[in-house]
Amino acid sequence: MLELRPVRVATGEDSEGFLVFEGDALVAVVVRLSDQHEERAGAWYLEAAFGRLAVALNPVFDTLDEAETWIAGRLRY
Amino acid sequence: MADLPLRFEERPDNYDIVREGDRPNECCLIVEGFVCRYKILGNGQRQIFSFHIPGDLPDLQSLHLDVMDHSLATLSPSTVAFIPHSVMHDLMGRYPTIQTAFWRDTLVDAAVFREWLAGVGRRTAHQRIAHVICEVFLRAQAVGLVEEDGFAMPVTQAELGDSLGLSTVHVNRVLQDLRNQAMIQWRKQVIRVLDWRRLQSAGDFSPDYLHLKSMDTV
Repeated sequence: MLELRPVRVATGEDSEGFLVFEGDALVAVVVRLSDQHEERAGAWYLEAAFGRLAVALNPVFDTLDEAETWIAGRLRY
Repeated sequence: MADLPLRFEERPDNYDIVREGDRPNECCLIVEGFVCRYKILGNGQRQIFSFHIPGDLPDLQSLHLDVMDHSLATLSPSTVAFIPHSVMHDLMGRYPTIQTAFWRDTLVDAAVFREWLAGVGRRTAHQRIAHVICEVFLRAQAVGLVEEDGFAMPVTQAELGDSLGLSTVHVNRVLQDLRNQAMIQWRKQVIRVLDWRRLQSAGDFSPDYLHLKSMDTV
């Protein structure tokens, strides 16, 4: 079960984000892409991922739901 | 060069000139355009190894290595001149200076790969992006392709990310920052260097590995 807690992330303009917890463990940080990303504005970027979630190339998701589904799926592996 | 049996071909954007696994019997010279060497990994992701501009012979290695271990593709519409391996071998046999020049070219090639490896392994996103802009700028300048501090760099942010091991999001953030800091301008696939000294510093860039000066002595 994932829990999302809002947070400001110091990435410049893409500052609106969530800490993603599994239980009491932080597994990822996602941020909403700002207008500087033009056609991807509003999408969600995996800013940081820990442990089993770590990937070589951090993905972008159209919605926060998609990001959660992807994170939950990777954690079940 | 005018007497060589060169075959000139136009290639569109994103066209594979040579593919991994191919057994080429000719080398190619980039006459116009922008080309990269790359590989597709098992997970479907692409790693770009190098960028090539007019004057480069990016698959010189195929003269001695039968099977391509990576691919070569255009990143913009390009003109490529193909030269049969037999002609290249003949040239090298008759003119030792040409053989030396080709050998030197592959050595510089390896030096560039070492620098990229250091970048992907140890440099920050800001440093990697500033560094590759410095590199292409100096190489373009060496072959007379810089005008008013501007040069063609027809790569997308995704392609830049694939070359530097960065996500498109990260590339976009860094480019915005380099623009905001007035180090570069990037418009319509042309980069203009606005502050060379600061860009070099931001990229941890030293041009030694390009070995450009001693080109004159070859």
